[in-house]
Amino acid sequence: MESKLHGIMAEFDTPSDLVDAARKVRDAGYTKTDAFSPFPLHEIDEALGIKRSILPYLIFCGGITGLLSGIGLQYFVHVFDWPIIVGGRPHFSLPAFIPPAYELTILFSAFVAVFGMLFLNGLPAPYHPVFNVPRFALATREKFFLIIESKDEKYEYAETRSFMESLAPQEVFDVEE
Amino acid sequence: MANLDDYQAPAVINRWRTLALGAGGIALLAWAVGTYLNPEQGLRSWLLGFIFWAGITFGSLGVLMLQYLTGGAWGVVIRRTLEAATRTLPLVALLFIPLALGVYFHTFMEFTHMAESDKAIDIHIMEARGIYMAPWFWIVRSAIYFAVFGVMVYLLNKWSVQQDKTETVEESRLVLEKASRFSGPTMVFFALTVTFAVVDWMMMLDPHWFSTMWGLLFVAGWGLSCFCFCVALLASLSNTAPMNRVLGKRHFHDLGKLMLALTMVWAYFNFSQFLIIWAGNLPEETTWYLARMKGGWGYIGIILIVFHFAFPFLVLLQQDFKRKARWLATLAMFILVMRIVDMFYLIGPTPRVSGTLGQGAFFISWMDVVAPIAVGGIWLWWFFGQLLKRPMVPAKDPYFEGAVEHGHGH
Repeated sequence: MESKLHGIMAEFDTPSDLVDAARKVRDAGYTKTDAFSPFPLHEIDEALGIKRSILPYLIFCGGITGLLSGIGLQYFVHVFDWPIIVGGRPHFSLPAFIPPAYELTILFSAFVAVFGMLFLNGLPAPYHPVFNVPRFALATREKFFLIIESKDEKYEYAETRSFMESLAPQEVFDVEE
Repeated sequence: MANLDDYQAPAVINRWRTLALGAGGIALLAWAVGTYLNPEQGLRSWLLGFIFWAGITFGSLGVLMLQYLTGGAWGVVIRRTLEAATRTLPLVALLFIPLALGVYFHTFMEFTHMAESDKAIDIHIMEARGIYMAPWFWIVRSAIYFAVFGVMVYLLNKWSVQQDKTETVEESRLVLEKASRFSGPTMVFFALTVTFAVVDWMMMLDPHWFSTMWGLLFVAGWGLSCFCFCVALLASLSNTAPMNRVLGKRHFHDLGKLMLALTMVWAYFNFSQFLIIWAGNLPEETTWYLARMKGGWGYIGIILIVFHFAFPFLVLLQQDFKRKARWLATLAMFILVMRIVDMFYLIGPTPRVSGTLGQGAFFISWMDVVAPIAVGGIWLWWFFGQLLKRPMVPAKDPYFEGAVEHGHGH
């Protein structure tokens, strides 16, 4: 009995082949796609029609939260909880509060950046079907891969497979679930 | 290898050159009349124009060495612009002469009169600092700074000419490696020379005050001036040949990131200086800020915080903004105006030799507007002349093709 497929994968030799193929896949109307390369390709986002990540906005909100927490914490401590006069200055001395608030801004931004990135990428992922293709290990070395997932609305096994073969890849694989 | 003739500077620069000289010439005449009537104000305004425009020259020298150290496409595309800016150094030395004369004749800068002062603090300073406070030694030191910068400018430009004459990639790479090896250790001397120079030229306006952050304020500020100037210039040239074949969104994106970084560094250094003085709360240090937090100077300080830091910072955070050359260039010119305001904030409240205004009194002279235009017009005239002399890009650099290639991908 044939097991359910995760998708169909094509292997390419050069980054420009991958980007050209990605453009055709996008133009054919496929949306549940992904590309794999040993190094970052600047054109691939546009070629595959990948939308901009919302991560920068999340990081900005994280930074603002950090800034407000920093100032809020110091305000609470120095004005309400344990007011001490230091060097004859007012309890609320903004210049002195800026360095800790600045550090918390960076800390919160960095946390949101790292954990937000992991969350949005669905990481950590202990299992992923693409590794069922033995040659996929080369994606970290010298080969470039493109996949159309079976959950794509336009996906239809025979048609998609012949479409992938028309992109002049090195090889086309069925990726088992 | 690429053909250098394909990358000659466009003819439109000739027209800009004439315009710059015209505006600069008229402003220079006005400034000369003003200085005849009020020499001290004339020289203070001249210093404002000098320190801003010379800042682009020195900033370009620093960034030129920086891009040899870091590599990257942004450095390759702006390298020739930076080199042309560093070759304004002889002119900058000429423009310095009025200031040297002002110090020589004791018409400008309070320290030139401190030897006659009978105030205890002044006597102490003169004894403690000794020969360093002698006007002639001030002038000799300035000459040394120009000589040190001159060696850096001469060698880096010489090697760049050498690279254009190479026939093979290997030869070209050897020249590049020579420039890179030179740039590393020389960066240290560059930062030190800048520190000494601005302590003399700017900090000694107020000889009673001192800050160890001073040199870094200018290293960061001049770097920012340099990037803003490059962005403004290259955005204006990005639609004409040859730069339309070279520049892409990627380059402006990178230059925009560097503008963001230096905007933050400028604010960071300024705030560090403020925080240390505010926390220390010592009378000999706080006077500098007290004068600048009162009346008109207080408003200028707020303008600097909002428009030299907060506004550019928030705008430059956005990726889309940095990728649009026109928008980025508009912001770059806005920051350049703020750079002049920042220099005005440093110079304005310092004491005057003539004692016509009390220290810290808020006052803007018409010459504070005219002198930066005069210096700028002449500076730009010279700069455009230098820009026309060489191809606009280092087309024989081993990384040139790679630096251009992606630019077309938008």
